[in-house]
Amino acid sequence: MSETAPRITNNGSAGRILLLFGRVALAGILLFAAYAKLKPPVPGMRWSKASVKTSIAMFAMNVDSFQMLATPHQVSVVAHLLPFCELGLGLWLLSGILLRFSSVIAMLVFGGFFTLIVRTYMLGLEINCGCFGPGEKLGPRNLLVDGSLLALAVAVTLGAFFLSRKRGGEGAPSSAPAAEGAG
Amino acid sequence: MTLRKLLFPGLIVLGLAAAGILVARTVFPGVSLPQPVTKVAAAAPALSAPAIEPPKAELAPEASVDQSAEAETKPAATKNSPAPRAKAAATQALPLPVKTIGSKNAPITMEVFSDYQCPSCGALYEQTLRPMINDYVAAGKVYLIHRDFPLPMHTYGYEAARWVNAAARIGKFEEVEAALYDNQKAWTVDGNIQKYVAGALSDADFKRVQKLMIGCGMEVKPPSGPDNPSGCPLDANIEADKQLGNQIPVKATPTFLTYYKGQKYPAASGVISWPVMKQYFDSLLAQ
Repeated sequence: MSETAPRITNNGSAGRILLLFGRVALAGILLFAAYAKLKPPVPGMRWSKASVKTSIAMFAMNVDSFQMLATPHQVSVVAHLLPFCELGLGLWLLSGILLRFSSVIAMLVFGGFFTLIVRTYMLGLEINCGCFGPGEKLGPRNLLVDGSLLALAVAVTLGAFFLSRKRGGEGAPSSAPAAEGAG
Repeated sequence: MTLRKLLFPGLIVLGLAAAGILVARTVFPGVSLPQPVTKVAAAAPALSAPAIEPPKAELAPEASVDQSAEAETKPAATKNSPAPRAKAAATQALPLPVKTIGSKNAPITMEVFSDYQCPSCGALYEQTLRPMINDYVAAGKVYLIHRDFPLPMHTYGYEAARWVNAAARIGKFEEVEAALYDNQKAWTVDGNIQKYVAGALSDADFKRVQKLMIGCGMEVKPPSGPDNPSGCPLDANIEADKQLGNQIPVKATPTFLTYYKGQKYPAASGVISWPVMKQYFDSLLAQ
């Protein structure tokens, strides 16, 4: 422990703390997005298999309104998979395990969302985004927020790779996995 | 190195700010960034009103497909109507427009706010509402309510709503709505709505509709506010629908609401295919 404490101080603790915050924030956003898509659509409604099915069906309508996918079946597949992918990715980021991989995937996911929203906005489609639950209108605020989240994902990815490089440069293989796991 | 040192923390801070906004929106729903003016918001200030009750409690009792629209009923949807007293008396003398399709006893109620000149509304009607009417509405699963929400940038949208309201007063809503959406591309060019209304009705019915449209031509501007009514008695119901829409608020057309077992589900917008919407209805019915 005493060997690691000086190393932490010497290896840019501020950057690592920022990376930790960024990773946790990104994970939290993904988990929130998954929760918003799966939670009962009406206040006061209990969680149940039926309520989750209805929420997913509502999200499917949001996905369909983007007019990106060719068939209703594709819309249904995306609507069923995406919330659980967000849930899994959020938990993976939170754990800090293999951070470089999880952050790259998160960056690609947010990049895809941002591209889609920009495209939809440019087309002038006045629809519900559905990003963080039903009833969320697509507008410039979505562009700003999603762009910021993409920036956060990029930052976390860069930070994870820089951190990994630093650890590799110092030649401390026994401590590297623990450090990466801690964020 | 300097750029790298600034970039990473900067991106982190930006992302954290975004995360903070999202958390604030969740924990404090009233906290929000100012919204830009949208196509609809410029013309429609939001009203502070109690939550909308499921429409079954509000509507005039005549709602079956075959029923005539000429019965006198309480104008439930016009509770907050801006129509002044002089015009209200004239409006209430006319039968109420019945802009619904299906059985009022259907478990699901769907309220659609649309503009007849809106291309997306036309697409929704042709791709989704029409098969829905033939399937779930006919089977008694869905009760469909049309609400007028003509947008200010559509030159003939308000006029089209007047024609449909006039037809709805003699029980011919469905026919005229179908005719206008089927021929949307044609009449939106020259504004010759009358031609397609005439084509959808018998001569006798068209004459009745024309009579109701007296004083409601294109030269009569829509009401610009509660204190500035138009001269057309049909406008009161259109304005009442718009007020309902502003309470949601409707920011674009088409926007639709669904009600099931007395609960209102979040509004959705855009063109949604019938299979996807059907899946949604099935999920509701399975509850």
